[in-house]
Amino acid sequence: MNELTLIDEHGKRSDGRGIDDLRPIKITVGVIKNADGSAFIEFGKNKIIVAVYGPREVHPKHMALPDRCVLRCRYHMSPFSTDTRKNPAPSRREVEISKVIRESLEPSLILSDYPRAVIDVFVEVLQADGGSRCAGIIAASVALADAGINMRDLVSACAAGRLGDNIVLDINDLEDKEGDADMPVAYLPNIEQITLLQLDGKLSTSQFNECLNKAIQGCKLVYEIQKEALMKKYFGNELELKEEVV
Amino acid sequence: MQEIKRRYVIPGDKIIEGNYKPLMNVMKSGDYLISTRIGIAEAGKDGVKVIPLSGVYIPRVNDLVIGKVIDRSSLSWDIDINSCFFAHLPAQDVFGRDFSPARDDMGRQLNIGDLIIARIVSFDRTRDPMLTVQDKDLGKIPYGEFIKISPTRVPRLIGKRGSMIQTIEQATQTRVIIGQNGIVVVTGRDIEGLSLAVKAIKMVEEESHTTNLTQRVKSLLNVHDPSELEQSENAVSSTAEVSNDAVSSTAEVSNDAVSSTAEVSNDAVSSSSSTSSSTSSPTPPVTSDSSSQINLDTQEQSYSTAESQPQQQNFASVDSPNIKDDVEQSENDDASSNLADAYQKEKKQEANNEVV
Repeated sequence: MNELTLIDEHGKRSDGRGIDDLRPIKITVGVIKNADGSAFIEFGKNKIIVAVYGPREVHPKHMALPDRCVLRCRYHMSPFSTDTRKNPAPSRREVEISKVIRESLEPSLILSDYPRAVIDVFVEVLQADGGSRCAGIIAASVALADAGINMRDLVSACAAGRLGDNIVLDINDLEDKEGDADMPVAYLPNIEQITLLQLDGKLSTSQFNECLNKAIQGCKLVYEIQKEALMKKYFGNELELKEEVV
Repeated sequence: MQEIKRRYVIPGDKIIEGNYKPLMNVMKSGDYLISTRIGIAEAGKDGVKVIPLSGVYIPRVNDLVIGKVIDRSSLSWDIDINSCFFAHLPAQDVFGRDFSPARDDMGRQLNIGDLIIARIVSFDRTRDPMLTVQDKDLGKIPYGEFIKISPTRVPRLIGKRGSMIQTIEQATQTRVIIGQNGIVVVTGRDIEGLSLAVKAIKMVEEESHTTNLTQRVKSLLNVHDPSELEQSENAVSSTAEVSNDAVSSTAEVSNDAVSSTAEVSNDAVSSSSSTSSSTSSPTPPVTSDSSSQINLDTQEQSYSTAESQPQQQNFASVDSPNIKDDVEQSENDDASSNLADAYQKEKKQEANNEVV
C-alpha cells in the first residue's frame, strides 16, 4: 500500500514532515559575480543555481522583437544531479520545463521596458529531489530581481499533491513517483495571479480546490523567504522595512 | 499631500495608497503604487519613485557615457556603451558636415578599440542611442585606468555635489572621468595614487549602500585634512633632498637645504590657509596629531568648496544635478531640505531637457 509508506499513522510523511509542511528552503542571492543577477536555492535536497544575464543585445539579431524584450530560459539538469547519470543533452522533459519556467516568469516581468533586447535565464539543477521546476522558478525570480529588471511582482512557486485521501503540501521526489497527484503552482503573491498550473494525476473537483488553495498558501510562505533573501543581500541585517519620515 | 517617506522595497511591494504620480520604477496597481525594482522608495510631493540598487544601464538623453569603439561602417562608428543597445557615432559628428566617406579616412580619427567620452543626443524605444563628441572635454580618451562599476553606483561614487569623487581626486592626485554607464577612467602621473584611486572606487562600489562610507574612504586614502596631506608630502620630499645633499657635500649645503625645507613648509601652510580662507570656515594650521574636530571641519570645507565652485575638470560632476545623488542623503539627518532641493533641481533639469 502506497499510502502506508508515504504517510504513517501519526500523519508524518516519508521525510518526517506533516502534511502542511514545506521542506527547508534557503536562498542566497548574488552568487555568480559575472552574471547580472543570480541566486542559489536549496529546497529540501534540491540544489539549484540560477544566473540571469541582461537585458542585453540579442544574438542572433533576427530573434529581437521591436516592441519588447525576449525572455529565454534554459532549465538543465547536471549529469550528476540524479541517482543514475543523466545525459547532459537537453531532454524532452528539460525542453518542456524550460518553456513552462519561461511562461511562468513572463507575466511578472515588464518586458516592454526593454525593446529589442533579451534576458537570459539559466537554471542549472545541481541536485534534484522532486519539485525542481518550482525551486527553479523561485530562484529565477529572485535572480531576475537581483539583475534589476523591472518586475510587477516576484514569482513564488510551490507544489501540492495527493497521497491517498490526503492533500499534502510540497511533494518530494518519492511522493512524486509513488503518490497519486502532483500539482505545481507558480503564483504572484501581491497581484494574486497564477502563472503556472500543471497537474499530473487525478483529483476530484473538491480535491482540486483544496490542492490549489494549499499550493497558494505554500507560495505565500515561499514568498516570505524570497523577500528575506533579497532584503538580506541589499539591506544587510535590516530585514524590517526601514521606514523613516523626514 | 503627505509627508515624505523613504523605505526599502523589492519588486511588488506596495509603496503607498492614493493618487500619487508614479515617477521612476513605480507602477500603478489598483489603488496602490508598487515598486518594480529593488531599491529605496521615496514618496514625496511631486510623486513616488524608487532609486534602484541594481540593474544595467539604460541610456537617457544628455547622459555622459564612456564607450568603446567596436565597429565601423562607412558613415558611423558603433560604440559599446555597456548597455543592451549599441550606440552610433556618426562620422559627420567628428569630421564636420562636409564629411565624405570617399575622401576622409575614418581610421585617422577613431579606431576599433578606442575609448571615447560622449554625450547621448537621442534615444527612444524605437532607435538606438546616437552620440556626439561635439562638446568641451568630449572625444577620445588617450590613456588611463579603465574600471567598470555598476551603473546604479555612479551617483554614490560622485557623491553629494561631487564630494566623494573630489575627495578621491584630491587625495590621490588623479583625475577621474565617470560615465553614467558605469565606466570610470582614472588618469594620473603617480602610479601609487592611481592604484589607490582604483582601490577607493572599488570600495565605493562594493560598500555603496552602507552608511558612513565617506569617512571610510577617507581613512583608506589617509585623508585627515587636505592641507595636512600637502604639508606632509612636501616635508617628506624636502627631507629626502636634505639627506641627499648632506651625504654629498658640506654642512653649508645641508643648512641651505634645511632653510629651504622651512620655506617649503611655510609655503605649504600659507597656501593651505589661503585655500581655507576662500571658504567660509578658515581652518587652523593642522598638526599631525589633529583631533576629530578638525576632521569635521575638513568635511565641511570640502563640501562648501564643492558648492561654491562648480567643477571645471570633472565631467561627471558637471552633470551632477542630472544624477540621483540623493541615495547618500539617507545618511543625513537634515535630509528634508536637501530632498526638497534635489526634487526641485531634478524638476528644473527635466524642464531644461524638455526645452533642449
